[in-house]
Amino acid sequence: MLRRFRLEEPESVAEAAELLGRFGESAKVYAGGTELLLAMKEGLVQYERLINVKKLTGLSDVTTADGTLVIGALCTHHQLENSPVLRDKLPALTKLEQNVANVRVRQVGTIGGNICFAEPHADPGTLLIALGATMIAEQSSSKREITAEDFFVDAYETALQADEVLTKIQVPIPAPNARSAYLKFGYLERPSVGVAVAFNLNGGVSGVRIAVGCAGPAPRRVAEAEALLEGKSKDEALRHVAEAGAAAGRAAQAISDLHGSQEYKEHIVGVLLKRAFQSALS
Amino acid sequence: MQFQKEVEILAPREKVWQFIWDVDRFIACVPGCKDAKTIEAGKRYAATMVEKVGPFKVEFPTTIEVLEREELTRIKAQASGADNKIGSRMKLDLDVHLREEGDKTILGFVAGVDILGKLAALGHGIIKRKADQVLDEFAQAVKTKLEGDG
Amino acid sequence: MAKAMTKHSDAQSIPVSFTLNGRLQEIEVEPHELLLDLVRDQLGLTGAKRSCDVEVCGACTLLVDGRPVSACTTLAFEVRGRSVLTIEGLAQDGKLHPLQEAFIEYGGFQCGFCTPGMILAAKALLDETPNPSEAELKHFMHGNICRCTGYKKIIESIMAAAKKMRAKA
Repeated sequence: MLRRFRLEEPESVAEAAELLGRFGESAKVYAGGTELLLAMKEGLVQYERLINVKKLTGLSDVTTADGTLVIGALCTHHQLENSPVLRDKLPALTKLEQNVANVRVRQVGTIGGNICFAEPHADPGTLLIALGATMIAEQSSSKREITAEDFFVDAYETALQADEVLTKIQVPIPAPNARSAYLKFGYLERPSVGVAVAFNLNGGVSGVRIAVGCAGPAPRRVAEAEALLEGKSKDEALRHVAEAGAAAGRAAQAISDLHGSQEYKEHIVGVLLKRAFQSALS
Repeated sequence: MQFQKEVEILAPREKVWQFIWDVDRFIACVPGCKDAKTIEAGKRYAATMVEKVGPFKVEFPTTIEVLEREELTRIKAQASGADNKIGSRMKLDLDVHLREEGDKTILGFVAGVDILGKLAALGHGIIKRKADQVLDEFAQAVKTKLEGDG
Repeated sequence: MAKAMTKHSDAQSIPVSFTLNGRLQEIEVEPHELLLDLVRDQLGLTGAKRSCDVEVCGACTLLVDGRPVSACTTLAFEVRGRSVLTIEGLAQDGKLHPLQEAFIEYGGFQCGFCTPGMILAAKALLDETPNPSEAELKHFMHGNICRCTGYKKIIESIMAAAKKMRAKA
């Protein structure tokens, strides 16, 4: 049994933001509820009001505009795994979405809800950082952009303000010679380590972006590892990928927990980076 | 969970020792701690600890007992609190040491922290990190307060 | 009309009109009520089970608009305007669904606790992919856990049912 709460069903983002501003900590945005309802059932959080954002329009599409892929925050993982636009432009994200949690969570869970709850053991954030995504956050009468790198602040903490609603995720459509891959490892219900890599391939590798997730409190870009591969020829980069993996592991801020010790996770980061890089090249 | 911290304070030992027993100023250094009260001077104190990890907030009304006291040198204390709303308890064993090093005082403490109940569901790793952050901030705040006063 | 729970004076009532196993239901629920409790306790359909309570095991699987959801973590009002299928609604006029027949014939269950969720999930799989490969089947069914069978017989049952259903179609 959940504790009693009131349901608010705003019909515009402005209304939703206004409700959040008015009720503060006693209200929470509710979409798929796949994380929120679990925390509420566990008694870890309590709210007087849930703000159902599923009546907001225009936030459940995947569209393209001026070389940018725009993903509505309310898109469910199921929608994303089946989106022809996404499969065409960002197959790495399609594959990620196909493998989020299980079929029931994918059915109702939204990508917006996933990244806003900022559970450390989650997938999308890591790849979104590697792809250079930008989040659009709206208040009653203003909008701002937050880069994926800046969005994930800490475990369960994002850069969103209390009365901001995440509306869109923008991803630059990769160039024809761009490559990307996301690999994860886990044997519990949630992933234990996730590594995403993205780069341009034109003789050598350039514009390398690497992100590590799940191992530490929040997904993060690992510039230390990127530097070891940037500008190298394909073969040289492959020779350095183990070193890059070790750097990425150290930079992951891995926490020892039930998913594994810090050392184990750092090691897995290295393995996944090597495989992700090879996978992206193929 | 065990933590060990040491902080160098540019202030004489007596001043640091006095500061510790100035309950209001001392408690103000503990992040998330408020409403400090003296129940029995030198022996029992009360305060409320409020900590947040993302949306997860706990409020522990806490009692602090001073178990041992060695003038200007050492304090052994125990604190405990419960947040019934979230079904969790907190236990803290604290060993505080002071020693002089020239015109500096080294304030060191060993803390054993236990979180019991539902909050533990957040995961040992997250809680440990949070506790570590709180203790770091606390040590820095004590140093800043004491050095700032000149 | 389903019996309402004891009403709190501040209760917010949400009218929910939905199709349950092919029949229209019109009830009222409070926002915090869970679908699993509605189905088991108020509607008396106990096929769906509360097992892990964290959306991992699939024992509470129901089909909403033909798609599998974790009833343990779905708010009851979310089925308004939708169709809900429970295991009790699968057999038609006393005749078992090919999946139910296959699970019996091929030994796809032992204790039976996971079975209602397993069969409903399999139905959703086959409705989407009538001729799944074993890899596709395993991927879809990944979220339905069984402690007894070791899954081999479950896979055989579903594949057999799929074959039968394709032949009929």
